[in-house]
Amino acid sequence: MTPVLELQNVTKRFGGLRAVKGVSLTMNAGEILFIIGPNGAGKTTVFNLISGFLHPNEGTIRFLGQDISRMAPHRAAHLGIGRTFQIVKPLPSLTVLENVMLGAFMHTRSLRHAEEESAKILDFLQMSHLSKFLAAGLPLAALKRLEIARALATKPKLILLDEVVSGLTTSEALALAALVKRLPEWGVSVVGGVEHVMQVVMKIADRVIVLDYGAKIAEGLPADVVKKPEVIEAYLGPKFKELTQ
Amino acid sequence: MIRFLQACADGLLTGALYALIGMGLALIFGVMRIVNFAHGAFLMVGMYATWVLFEYSGLNPYWGFLPAGIFMLAFGWLIYALLIRPVRNRSHFMQILMTTGIGLILTDGAQLIFHADYHQTNIALVNRGVHLGPFGANAAEVLSFVIAVAFVVGLRSFVVRSRTGQALRAISQNPEIAPLMGINLVRIQGFSFALGTALAGVAGGLLLPRLYLFPGVGEDYTTKAFVMVVLGGMGSIEGAAFGGLVLGVTESLVSLRFGNQWALIADFIFFLLVLSFKPSGIFGRQRA
Amino acid sequence: MNLLKSWKFWALVAATLVWSRMPWLVQNNYQLQVLFRITLFAALGLAWNLVGGYAGQLSLGHVAFFGIGAYGLALFHQLSIPLWLCLVLAGVVSTLVAGLIGIIAFRLRGPYFTLATIAFGEVLRLTATNSDWAGGAIGLTVPALFHGRTFWRQFYLASVALTVIAFIVNYWVSQSCFGYYLMAIREDEDTASAVGINTARSKLWSLLLSAFLTALAGALYASAFQFIIPDSVLTLEISVQIAIITMLGGAGTLLGPIVGAALLLSAQEIFKNQFRESHLLIYGVLIVLIVLFLPEGVVGGLERLFRRKPKAPASAKQQPALGGAAQ
Repeated sequence: MTPVLELQNVTKRFGGLRAVKGVSLTMNAGEILFIIGPNGAGKTTVFNLISGFLHPNEGTIRFLGQDISRMAPHRAAHLGIGRTFQIVKPLPSLTVLENVMLGAFMHTRSLRHAEEESAKILDFLQMSHLSKFLAAGLPLAALKRLEIARALATKPKLILLDEVVSGLTTSEALALAALVKRLPEWGVSVVGGVEHVMQVVMKIADRVIVLDYGAKIAEGLPADVVKKPEVIEAYLGPKFKELTQ
Repeated sequence: MIRFLQACADGLLTGALYALIGMGLALIFGVMRIVNFAHGAFLMVGMYATWVLFEYSGLNPYWGFLPAGIFMLAFGWLIYALLIRPVRNRSHFMQILMTTGIGLILTDGAQLIFHADYHQTNIALVNRGVHLGPFGANAAEVLSFVIAVAFVVGLRSFVVRSRTGQALRAISQNPEIAPLMGINLVRIQGFSFALGTALAGVAGGLLLPRLYLFPGVGEDYTTKAFVMVVLGGMGSIEGAAFGGLVLGVTESLVSLRFGNQWALIADFIFFLLVLSFKPSGIFGRQRA
Repeated sequence: MNLLKSWKFWALVAATLVWSRMPWLVQNNYQLQVLFRITLFAALGLAWNLVGGYAGQLSLGHVAFFGIGAYGLALFHQLSIPLWLCLVLAGVVSTLVAGLIGIIAFRLRGPYFTLATIAFGEVLRLTATNSDWAGGAIGLTVPALFHGRTFWRQFYLASVALTVIAFIVNYWVSQSCFGYYLMAIREDEDTASAVGINTARSKLWSLLLSAFLTALAGALYASAFQFIIPDSVLTLEISVQIAIITMLGGAGTLLGPIVGAALLLSAQEIFKNQFRESHLLIYGVLIVLIVLFLPEGVVGGLERLFRRKPKAPASAKQQPALGGAAQ
């Protein structure tokens, strides 16, 4: 079966800095994969590369077998890649429902259909009671869900969730994580990027990849990866490596 | 061939003054990200200030630009505090509108106060020539070149050496970090805006003997300043200075070949070409 | 169609009919000319609204299209082309030029886009001034689309028709997917791309529509005054005026540009002397005041007052509704 996402030796440079160094990964349909790593590890760059906002200097990115390395973001969206942004970007002068409808417009021109689809998604994310309100002024937890709703409305096959629970309280984060765990029910594979909310990762990830300074340093089941010395070193510094010995 | 080189030399002489204007905008826009469409108007105000000193106290503009510059520093600060601060975090759209409005007020205000008459300032220096081999320049141009270069060098070392200068550079790279480093963002932005305005004013003062003075004299310079900032690359003050020189030489050569009126069009076209093909500019790191 | 049941629709129809009867209510041709200019600028504002209001792209170069309409009418007529065809051709040329401008300028963001639009307008003005075939600084005579004693009345009605068309275009945009795309682009281009919107193409379409309407207005204006020079139809000032009208009334709203045109141009008439002496100063002060105190314009401000789309009240934001997730 064709993997839903494949990165082969992807490198991205900004001037002299290599933000992503030779990263490879493979992901199959229905998986929930998390990319973790300390601040600056390159997670957001990887997301930008996959969704077309950036293009790799070396290596290829394949989505469902198709090379998308040089694709424009809106084309990537049409192919089936949805994403949320680390810093939430609601459209403040539109209502919650209208925000989500924007995503639905990718598949329908009818305002009515878009409304119906969007209502279903908002229901899944337990936000129906907020539908008619302006997106401006909503609390972060709602805005994070709105990001997901809007991306989900584009009927993606892969959804990139960049720091989707950062900034939320633990209970908010766990509640949202439970919903993320159910995303494959919508036919979506999930790639999440997280810096430090490890509880969430442990609970819902099928697999974890660890990045540090742009390079992949570990990969595997959440419970295994978290114990690896190189991972602990990346987060806490070399002194703490002794803790694992 | 001689005419070509002479035009280049003339272009460099003018280019140094342009560099001042460009660096001023680079401080405001490149570093502070405040879109200032009133930059040319500030140049005009500086020019009038220098002229007033000349008319009413006989002060030679080649001295007068200094008090005018200091006046512009205060003036820029005032404008920042009253009108720019409220919009510094708003969209570029609003900043452009605001500064366009300020520019209109300044330009029309100048017209109301000084009327639309053209003034020509005659300084003896302008008529004296300086010769270097087959090349000639008039003494006034050379003097303003020297002064402009002094300012450019001075500004650069200020930005690199002084604490305020380093704060400026820190903010241009990462505005969010600044408060964490104990930098008072508003005060630095205000200072940067005032300094940028003062540079435009100084350039205006130095241009006084060479141009006809009238309220609309600054209009073209806003565009030229943006061209320089783009040429040099966002956030690069040295780049804008270099952009000034490039622009000066380009205009001079275009005038030589096609006549003066096409110089401004050449600016626009050059601008559009750079933005289309190398938006990060010659020294730039970021996209326009 | 539920449109026919909407009271707003009938109110607008009524208003249009009343507005069309104005020529029979005013005393002289001069007042009619003023009404003509108000209505024409309402059309210009509505055209600009597509790009500056809905798409949020600050174009200060719309005078380029205005001027192409004006010059187009005059120049095509010199080639002995039937008058009304000249009008259409002028519009088409303007749209083609808009395509060119759009392809270049829309790759730029923020101030660079605005500067590019200013640049295009100025290049056009300087070219016209320096080109003898376009009349140079001396100008061109423009054929009159209407003749006879009811000259001004006919021009006035034409301007009303144009405004109605521009209004209908605005309305259609605001109710369609396309309108949503533009608004998304206005708020955040990256988000728009991420949901599959081809931002470059959408922006371009809004500019093409806008340019066509603006050119028609320019041709109408030129024809009414029968003589044009670069400084009368290609100045940056006209671009600024169009932008102010829409911002003052409310960018991104349907009635905003109309209200703005009515307000600004009426003020210009009433305070004619002050305006003649220092109209730029007044524009400048207006802009500053709008930006500081009324960025969404008169209509936008009113809309906010009678908030049709409410913000979430504090109670709805409580956690319990979100916290009880299906585990």
